[in-house]
Amino acid sequence: MGRNDPNRASWKRYAPLILAAIVILVPLAVPSRYILRTLVNIFFFAALGCAWNIIGGYAGQLSLGHAAFLAMGAYPTALLLLNLNIPPWLGFIPGVVLASIVAYLLGHLVFRLRGPYLALSTLAFAEILRILLLHFRNQTSGSLGVTIPFKGTSVWKLQFASEQPYYYICLGLLGFCLYVTHRIHNSKMGYYLQAIKENQDAAENLGINLSGNKVKALMMSAALTAMMGGFYVAYFYYIDPDSVAGMDLSIKILLVAIIGGVGTVWGPVVGACILVSLTEISNYLFGGGRAGASLVIYAIILMIVVLFSPRGLIALLPGGLRSYRSE
Amino acid sequence: MMGGVYALIAVGLTLIFGVMNVVNFAHGEFVMLGMVLTYLLHHYLGWDPGVSILFVIPIMLGVGALIQKTLISRVIGKPDEAQILLTLALSVLLANAVLLFMGPDYLTVKTPYKLSVVALGPIVFLVPRLIAFIVGLTFSWVLWLFLNRTNLGKGLRAVAEKPEVATLMGINPKRMHWLAFGIGISLAAGAGSVLTPFFYTFPSVGGMFVLIAFVVVVLGGMGNIPGAILGALVIGITESLTAQFLALDLAMLGVFVIFVLVLVFKPSGILGKGKLY
Repeated sequence: MGRNDPNRASWKRYAPLILAAIVILVPLAVPSRYILRTLVNIFFFAALGCAWNIIGGYAGQLSLGHAAFLAMGAYPTALLLLNLNIPPWLGFIPGVVLASIVAYLLGHLVFRLRGPYLALSTLAFAEILRILLLHFRNQTSGSLGVTIPFKGTSVWKLQFASEQPYYYICLGLLGFCLYVTHRIHNSKMGYYLQAIKENQDAAENLGINLSGNKVKALMMSAALTAMMGGFYVAYFYYIDPDSVAGMDLSIKILLVAIIGGVGTVWGPVVGACILVSLTEISNYLFGGGRAGASLVIYAIILMIVVLFSPRGLIALLPGGLRSYRSE
Repeated sequence: MMGGVYALIAVGLTLIFGVMNVVNFAHGEFVMLGMVLTYLLHHYLGWDPGVSILFVIPIMLGVGALIQKTLISRVIGKPDEAQILLTLALSVLLANAVLLFMGPDYLTVKTPYKLSVVALGPIVFLVPRLIAFIVGLTFSWVLWLFLNRTNLGKGLRAVAEKPEVATLMGINPKRMHWLAFGIGISLAAGAGSVLTPFFYTFPSVGGMFVLIAFVVVVLGGMGNIPGAILGALVIGITESLTAQFLALDLAMLGVFVIFVLVLVFKPSGILGKGKLY
């Protein structure tokens, strides 16, 4: 039992503080724009992995369509900014609301399904959204995508010429996602989700409201994902249906959480560090043109994780197992 | 007209599910591998896809048995998540390995009959599509005959139905799993072969077909071969009707909407679940 473990070494209590201090000071000490960009990417995917983890990791309901929620956050943010000049830090809110509502409806529709059926229906859900985004090109400009013009540094519109502000924004968002998962991890709901993951029928017999808890978890997960969709718009200035609602992104989100460690607070952070640095290394070694290389490596890592370390790579770190509630 | 091809892809998928209880998320990538092999045989040796298919199917039978032995067998009986993730990883691996070696270009196989047509009454058919349709349905029917008329096929069905009893009868379930996976993916690759004359070959083409194959299989009932054939025809028609009457780029939308409706209201499919014959 990790939470009340008296054997927890005292340095472990301070380790997070030290880590936080380092992470906060990095942009002041490291002038390299490239390294900061890589770190922002790590934070971004870690936050998405965290959000996925709530429904996919804790509740064990494998979603292959999380990119859809990101798109639901990204499109309203981008269109509001472009057409009505509403800044992203306000514009992401409708997307979050939309994603939560859709998650509520979707959850009631698909959560009676299990295993492969559930995975397939989430996949189909994301594909439906992608096709609709491509089809309504008058509103979304279809496959051309939406480009946000950069008009000089403006705090109001979250447009900055330098990398540091994005670094802190993304770090803050990641912190928020970690805080939410941490709260869930140690709450009644966290135990319910864990029970649902282990055995749905047994959990139901114990009086746990299956669909209620699953839907709640999906809504939280969708809202956080949509929030990151808003950040995506502010940071990358460009969205199109294939890159924000495509299956590649859904799989990448799930990889981050699963490779790092499903159902753990810090697993997605570990996963994001590994995946993003791997992408950078393979781009450096093989050049950007050989785009397949990094995904081949991911796939092999995923196979190894599934076959040999189903709890993710975090379980291999010293003390990593302690972050599991039950052993 | 795509119905025949979908049938061929889907019967393989449903066979694998029926016998091994594994949902093969990498199925589309084997269609892609079939297309790439056919393209290579055409490009370097000048073979017609009709000849290539006779080579592609046995090759993929071996490849399938090998993959089953080395990878898939490790997750049989494990939780659904492990199976989904392993086959998903296999799919990402295959698609990107091909991308790495072949590049992202759209490749075509040029045949002399590429643009020729036949008229049957008022309806005009493109010859390559007609061939694909006929080959797809014929092979699906041959599979059905194989399962019903031969001892090996009966062994497969026995393992699908009651693995323990089948083992008692002297059937080796492991060998049947190799066979099922081999047949399943070689049929998918065969479908890839007949697709090449009228469909672009590129590394991520599998993603399109795997989704349709899932829709078809779920529609017909997981593990149900006649169901898969019927489902394939329904989906082929739905796709062309949506394209005809709504909009061309919404063709897949109709298919997915049917999929979600079936999943939600009758997850066991139109012909019910679990019958391989």
